[in-house]
Amino acid sequence: MKIASEKTTIERRSVKRPVKGLRTLPSALALFILSGVLLAVILISVSFGSIPIPIGAIAQILLNGTGIFHFTRQWDPTAELIIWQVRMPVVIGTALVGAALAVAGVLFQGMLRNPLADPYLMGTSSGAALGAAIAFVLPFDTVYGSFFSLTPVLAFVGAMLTVLFVYSIARSDGQAPVVTLLLAGVVINAVLVALQTLILTLSPHAQFGLQALFNWLSGGVSATSWPPIFVVGTIILVGIAFSLILSRSLDAFALGEEGAAHLGLNVERRKFIIIVVGSLLTAAAVSISGLIGFVGLVTPHVMRLLLGPRHRLLLLASALAGAIFLTLADLLARVVIAPSVLPVGIFTALIGAPFFLFLLRSSKRDYRW
Amino acid sequence: MVKMETRLNTPFLNTPFLVVEGVTFGYGREPLLYNVHVQVQAGEMVGLLGPNGSGKTTLLRLLSGVYRPQQGRILLEGHDLQQWGRRTVARRIAVVPQELHMPFAFTVEQMVSLGRTPFVDFLGSLGERDKNIVKDALQAAVIESLADRVFNHLSGGERQRVMIAMALAQEPRLLLLDEPTSHLDIKFQIETLELVQHLNRERGVTVIAAMHDLNLAARYFPRLILFQRGIVADAAPAEVLEPGVLRRVYGVNVQVGILRGAEHISVLPPGSKPSGEATEGQLNGPGQKPIVHVIAGGGSGELMMRALADTHVPFIAGALNIGDSDHTLALRLADEVITEQPYAPISPAILAQVRASLAAVKLLIICPMPIGSGNLALLREAVIAAERGLPVLLLAGTTDITGRDYTGEGQPLWDVLLQAGARAVESVVEAMDAVKQLS
Repeated sequence: MKIASEKTTIERRSVKRPVKGLRTLPSALALFILSGVLLAVILISVSFGSIPIPIGAIAQILLNGTGIFHFTRQWDPTAELIIWQVRMPVVIGTALVGAALAVAGVLFQGMLRNPLADPYLMGTSSGAALGAAIAFVLPFDTVYGSFFSLTPVLAFVGAMLTVLFVYSIARSDGQAPVVTLLLAGVVINAVLVALQTLILTLSPHAQFGLQALFNWLSGGVSATSWPPIFVVGTIILVGIAFSLILSRSLDAFALGEEGAAHLGLNVERRKFIIIVVGSLLTAAAVSISGLIGFVGLVTPHVMRLLLGPRHRLLLLASALAGAIFLTLADLLARVVIAPSVLPVGIFTALIGAPFFLFLLRSSKRDYRW
Repeated sequence: MVKMETRLNTPFLNTPFLVVEGVTFGYGREPLLYNVHVQVQAGEMVGLLGPNGSGKTTLLRLLSGVYRPQQGRILLEGHDLQQWGRRTVARRIAVVPQELHMPFAFTVEQMVSLGRTPFVDFLGSLGERDKNIVKDALQAAVIESLADRVFNHLSGGERQRVMIAMALAQEPRLLLLDEPTSHLDIKFQIETLELVQHLNRERGVTVIAAMHDLNLAARYFPRLILFQRGIVADAAPAEVLEPGVLRRVYGVNVQVGILRGAEHISVLPPGSKPSGEATEGQLNGPGQKPIVHVIAGGGSGELMMRALADTHVPFIAGALNIGDSDHTLALRLADEVITEQPYAPISPAILAQVRASLAAVKLLIICPMPIGSGNLALLREAVIAAERGLPVLLLAGTTDITGRDYTGEGQPLWDVLLQAGARAVESVVEAMDAVKQLS
């Protein structure tokens, strides 16, 4: 019996070789490849649109923009305007949103040790949707005439308030158990969806509000200027940097909360910080993109399958991969039946699902929760 | 060896390494552990025994600093655990859990390096020293060959070794293990305990382990603590694994023998009568027939029971609830204990046991316990026995018990008892005089 079992162990190990080879891919190389792919995808994405612009010209225009390079202008001056003022904000915004959602997914999956966790789990989605619904029925568009339009601000505020509310409900005796957090999230989600429906039904502009809300819910970055991208981008980049500091804690959380406590973590405080950082990332992303599903759920799983579970590498890789994924999906949404634009959520699911299922099946022995 | 000597020469040698001082703890309002006192010296290897639900695991959690005592304190090297931050505690105390479910495919080496978490900076980079310690821990647990394997693919015994290596990477002075052998086959049970013993002897790590297997505990731990919501016995295996004590604590008959040719004690089920060849010096079953029944509770019986035990008067105590400090003490001192579940009212079956006991003994002593609904039932049994002619002593007896009567029905029963011939005695000494006249 003993011999037989050892033999199967050896066999199993040799079967796993290919996946193992991928896992031992040096992390620096993996990040380098992902960064290269992201740059390429951004360039390609910028080149598509109503006026085709060659990628070479785009690269030169962008490099000129850095102030270091000075290529002589061999292109239509409007191309420069289109790229800098129209396409780049959208593409960069999309990449940032993808990165934010993927990192938030890693944070929540790692903290909750739950493979189904996604950035919207703690009520961010319904909070943001309620904020957006309120914005759609209010008779003004901007916050005190500033350059912030009302929808993203209310969506952001709604998402953050909801998460803090869910957390404070789940917390008793200085502890917020995972199960209570999840259930509180589900219940508050239901309540907020009901409120949102109520507001839209009672509102005098109901018709208009419903259409706007539907568009918003199906997701997609529709930035028309840089300032909101700068604001959101700052929050997202700071959030990602902060999550890197949490990577060691997330590794320890894999042992369970008690195991993490035995390794010297102040578990409840860490949980709160992870929730706040994850929700900030999600809320910032949602505020400019609406609700985009699947990126935050699947990107972390794919990166974990390819690069292993250690969170420092996982967070960085997921940020890059999430950006790549969403930029690609957004590109498809814009070009498939151009000039009409399809909701980006269609493509995150349509590309993401087969790719993920393929990876999952090819290495199912390795991936057990 | 050098390491061990420096540790033994620390100035803390004079003050005990670990002190548990009057610790009371419960998850809800009702205490699970009551007023626990223990001291452990540096370098000791202590086995913690007790039935399921006895509070062993809770005690380990308190010792690891994860739970905060509701009363009392726990001192490690003279410092209160609660005054230290979690990180500081984790640099001194490591815990090996019973079982570990890993959701991710961490490799063995990654797992063991998690043990360095309390030492690394906020970016989590391992320095040269950290890497050496991880390597050393892998070596010590003899799992270097598994370093690149995925933890979840390992067998139970290998996982246990990985978890011990992870704890070792914390460079702990105190290693706590929660039933380290309960999921393992006999080979891995022995290997795991040999490893722990090795770490204790060679590295001077103080070990406290909750154990289910009494025989393995007797073999590997020079000191055993028998726990049932409090400390029932705390001594060498030969003293703790005494059939009477085990029967009272675990509620099942066992016999204890010494295997010929081996130095260790063996606890056996009662059915298999030991053949003379296999065991010798076996003492089993209840001791002498009890002649005194003690009704106590809430600590009121302590002096009385100690006095009876000191003069070797066989006595029976009960019914007492698990978790009552008198129950813990009775498990240690009485020849028999009638046990009821924690915080439960006394059930008819248990009352029947009390009645049977009162029919057999020659004297009933009622201690000055607080009278709630549970004790009311016992008083009624006492009245029946007294009316039948059993001598009854009411300790610290007064005719007025309204101060400790929480039901309002205690006082009338008390009066009936006195009328039925129960005698009030002022002190334990006076009660002991009456006891001596029995024999």
